[in-house]
Amino acid sequence: MAHRVVIVGGGAAGMQTALELKSRGIEPMIVERDIELGGKARAWHKLFPSFTPASDIMQPLAQRVKSERIRCFYGQEVVDIASDGVMLRSGERIPADAVVVATGFTLFDAHRKQEYGYGLYDNVLTSVDLERMMNGGCVALADGSKPRRIAILHCVGSRDEKVCQKHCSKVCCITGVKQAIELKQLIPEADVFNFYMDIRMFGPGYEELYREAQERYNVHFVRGRISEASETINKRIQIKAEDTLTGRPLRMTVDMLVLLVGMSANYENEVLAKRAGLELAPNGYFRTVDSFLGAVRSQREGIFFAGAATAPKSLADTLAEASLTASAVDDYLRRRFNTASTERAEL
Amino acid sequence: MTFFAPFTIPFIAGTIFLFAVVAIKWILWIVKLPKVDKRLIAHNLFSLSTLAAIWEVVRESLLHVRIFRRNMLLGFMHMSLAFGWFLLIVVGWIETIVYLGFEMIPLQGHVFFKYFMPINGIESHIPLFEQLMDALLLLVLTGVALAWFKRFGSKRMGMRRATKHVLFDRVALGALWFIFPLRLVAESLTAAIYGGNGFLTGSLGGWIAELLPNAVVAAIYEPAWWCYSSALALFFVAMPFSRYMHIFTEIPLIFLRKWRLHPTLERKSYDNFEVEACSRCGICIDPCQLQEDLGMHDTQSVYFLRDRRYNMLSLKVANNCLMCGRCESVCPVGINLTTLRINSRAKRRNIPHEGRYRYLVDVDRSSGNGKVGYFAGCMSSLTPGVQRSMELIFKSVGEEVWYADRDGGVCCGRPLMLSGETDAARKMVAYNTDLFRRHEITTLVTSCPICLRAFRENYHLDGIELLHHSQYIDRLIAEGRLSVSAGEASFSYHDPCELGRGSNVYEEPRRVISAIGELREPRHSRRDALCCGSSLANTVINDGQQLRIAQRMTQELVTTGCDTIVTACPLCHKAIARATNHPVADIAEVVAGNIAN
Repeated sequence: MAHRVVIVGGGAAGMQTALELKSRGIEPMIVERDIELGGKARAWHKLFPSFTPASDIMQPLAQRVKSERIRCFYGQEVVDIASDGVMLRSGERIPADAVVVATGFTLFDAHRKQEYGYGLYDNVLTSVDLERMMNGGCVALADGSKPRRIAILHCVGSRDEKVCQKHCSKVCCITGVKQAIELKQLIPEADVFNFYMDIRMFGPGYEELYREAQERYNVHFVRGRISEASETINKRIQIKAEDTLTGRPLRMTVDMLVLLVGMSANYENEVLAKRAGLELAPNGYFRTVDSFLGAVRSQREGIFFAGAATAPKSLADTLAEASLTASAVDDYLRRRFNTASTERAEL
Repeated sequence: MTFFAPFTIPFIAGTIFLFAVVAIKWILWIVKLPKVDKRLIAHNLFSLSTLAAIWEVVRESLLHVRIFRRNMLLGFMHMSLAFGWFLLIVVGWIETIVYLGFEMIPLQGHVFFKYFMPINGIESHIPLFEQLMDALLLLVLTGVALAWFKRFGSKRMGMRRATKHVLFDRVALGALWFIFPLRLVAESLTAAIYGGNGFLTGSLGGWIAELLPNAVVAAIYEPAWWCYSSALALFFVAMPFSRYMHIFTEIPLIFLRKWRLHPTLERKSYDNFEVEACSRCGICIDPCQLQEDLGMHDTQSVYFLRDRRYNMLSLKVANNCLMCGRCESVCPVGINLTTLRINSRAKRRNIPHEGRYRYLVDVDRSSGNGKVGYFAGCMSSLTPGVQRSMELIFKSVGEEVWYADRDGGVCCGRPLMLSGETDAARKMVAYNTDLFRRHEITTLVTSCPICLRAFRENYHLDGIELLHHSQYIDRLIAEGRLSVSAGEASFSYHDPCELGRGSNVYEEPRRVISAIGELREPRHSRRDALCCGSSLANTVINDGQQLRIAQRMTQELVTTGCDTIVTACPLCHKAIARATNHPVADIAEVVAGNIAN
């Protein structure tokens, strides 16, 4: 009989790990909290840096999971993890030979930065709201009109000690550049301003895209964090910032403010880690054995990680890591049960 | 009559030294006082406040009523030492007068009267004095015993931590510990040889006479008096440089205070009285959250004053204080710890270039001359929910409001003052004062307790009533202008430092909350409330340390089991919000959500 591996989380990381395991003759099972697979990337419009529609990646993944007949539990929350299986909130236990934690991340709650008025002012949105709007094909203000002036604020809930988020969320910079270009494509006459602390263009094609945003789309990049926002009488947003390159304070009124919300560790990580004997990094993400050859292994034999459960990651990194996780799980099962995967396939 | 013996020389020398040093200190401090302070003294010297000061000296310098109220045992220890010793001197004085009449008797004659009695052939003992003096000696000895006990087991005296002392303090303390036991021995030996004395020294003397051979008693008699005199001398020499200088400083301080002298944002000679009035009792150590939550043991007010007094104050100690006022509220001497801390920071004076203030010219883009001015404060701009709620409240009661800082405004200046930038702060004060006057307001409502305190303490806004929004809302409800709907929800209220201890506003927010739902008090509340840790005053601790302070304080609020944590300061609001996932709201937001007008 094939070895069983429970994968906690049915997002990109969970699905890709499941598919890779399946191809190695191992029997994966996915436990998903939501009522369908896909995680946060499902709601995304287009992916950086190539503007590939997110559905082009996520839909085939979900379809393959289905066609490979990988067993999925929907609407189920895992409350306890051990190397020999997981416990669901319902009390049901799913035994397994290994467990993969692919629980991803939580979006930073923009309400926590009250100074930007998210939830208070009509025309303050998060990057997620903007993707949703773009999925609907229309970016508009609360009154239905087109924004003429848009500010995009980087690092909301990232690199911000004041909200206990010291880490860099890694993907927001490039997302900000991508969204600025998309906005210019949708509304060419609009002025788009990106307020940033640093622009971190680490991936292939990112820096090029950043240049393109400036040269071809005339997106304005202002180095300085917005300190506060207030709503004017006609529902526009007045922002205060400092242009740290010129060293001058800056006040400007925009029609729309987009907050590039960062990636936070899941709130549940603490309890899960405590019960499973896993360690957490200071920022709340799961700690791996190391960042090199042990990047998908936990402190417990038989428990592995995939995707953004251990740190903020792009979709590309997550998918690549899923293969690594599958290979590590395979290695572990082979060592533990002294069987070769080829033999298992024959069984 | 002879009143001289060689053993009195150390005592005489010590006493002369002590009074010389104290006199020099007092004269220098008073001469260096600024003119304003001197004028205040001249003006109030012959007034009822002088009588009030005398009464306070009796209550605080002798009886230590404030310490008594806080901790009975500690109060008794201080009282028995101070009041006991004082009575020993006074009754001793009367005793000599009764025996010898109003003769010129030198100081040592009074102090060592028991020694000089037999020499001068005074045989007739007056039992009343004998017993009284022994009873007083016993009282002081009890205090000394408690002091020993406190050194070795401060916890049992209700103090988790006692002060770490400097060398002069240790010398003086050591001498003080032995003065009275040595006096007991010396007087008992006298009784052993010459008889007489009261229930304590007399009976002890009787036993000594029985137990020890006469030759031994005679041999240790003089050395015992030498020891007593030397212990006194040692104490007197160390005293002006040790914490015991507080004995001679607290008294003039009480008078100066009654004459309305007070410390200011700038250092001045008056500060010496406050600084040296600290007895380093260490009562301020336990309430300090930097000590309790962060394990910092060198920055509490007692150490700050000590360092400042001996000119070894580092900027780090000066800056490492939340200025929450918890220590100030328990200080038995009532030292203005916060103000002294602020003016210690003003060393690094930074006078900014005039050009930097050109922007002030066109900051005011507000309009209207409403009778009520609303100053949200910078921190409220970071919590726009508070501003929105206030706007809603103003609207629903139909108040004509002038928004002082909605369309541009400047800081109240207190953050600058707290970091010692007094000159820069003065620019803000001048600007805002002019702004308020120009718009002719009579009431100024602010949502930020930090601003409120600045307006109250550092501005001259006579004719303008200064209110925190919780006070304003409370008044609206009391006057029937605003009605709120009462419900089942429970709230636990956090007293912001600057509003509670800083501005003495405790009842109004509680009344407002009680009108809406059930009010629950955390373990520490009102004068005793904990600080949220995010104080602007501390520039030393880092963000993680602030968070740790916030977490313990927030935990107390959460454990009340309330539905919502309520506070009345935007800074506390933010601090609590990041320490817990429990709902937290400003009092204005709670009210705005329950308006029944």
